[in-house]
Amino acid sequence: MMRSVPAPEFIGANQYNRVELSLPADPQMLFLARMTAAAVATRAELGYEQVEDLRLAIDELCIALLGSHPGAGQIALLLQWDSEGTLDVVGTLVPDGGPSDDQNQPERSDAPLSLELSQRILDALVDDHGADAIGGVHRAWLRMRRREPSL
Amino acid sequence: MTSEAAFEVVESPHPGVPILRVQGEIDVATSPELHELLSDLIADGPGVIIVDLTDVSFIDSTGLGVLVGAVRDVRAGGGDLRLVVTQPHIIKLLELTGLDDVFSVLSDSSDAVTP
Repeated sequence: MMRSVPAPEFIGANQYNRVELSLPADPQMLFLARMTAAAVATRAELGYEQVEDLRLAIDELCIALLGSHPGAGQIALLLQWDSEGTLDVVGTLVPDGGPSDDQNQPERSDAPLSLELSQRILDALVDDHGADAIGGVHRAWLRMRRREPSL
Repeated sequence: MTSEAAFEVVESPHPGVPILRVQGEIDVATSPELHELLSDLIADGPGVIIVDLTDVSFIDSTGLGVLVGAVRDVRAGGGDLRLVVTQPHIIKLLELTGLDDVFSVLSDSSDAVTP
């Protein structure tokens, strides 16, 4: 599981570039999050390697949200970046009030392993990340800072 | 890079060594299909299985989890599962997760079928 730490406080949101995306909490829709991540990372002037890193990191963030309440509602993603090259992503699972699909999710033996791998991936790819659940609302977030391209 | 690549798995006939050529993106939506195909191959009996990821543009933790589960199962039966990987970002992902020490990673499927 992601660490239970608070999401970053955004200061002066109007100083940031901001993109919001809402998509069904459905595994089939996660490609939309990856596409948006790639576009935003490019806009934030991240290098090619970091664009790929952000695609994967956002995918892992969404997987964490899907796992918290599978099959119900929307995933709301907020992506913000500044001119200094700091990019924050906060994802929130917005339940639709309907029943979750917990009963219909096949329990695979590799699921705990995937969770561990997800944690390793996020630890390696982003500068910070975490998750919390306040009042039954699940959130996950990450922060990535622009790196100088390696020679 | 930014478009959804169609996921497809094709089993190439090769005497004694099945080769699964995977195309597209292996994510939480598509990894169950890969899991099912690998489980069927493993159930067929011990041996070497090649998973060719040359045309895979993206793989996440769920896809890696499927591959690690499969390699454990196949090795428990006395066989092996080998990966063919040429994409730099997938090689990097295997390294940062430590899975490059778990899998036999090769750059060409013809090398992978060599005993």
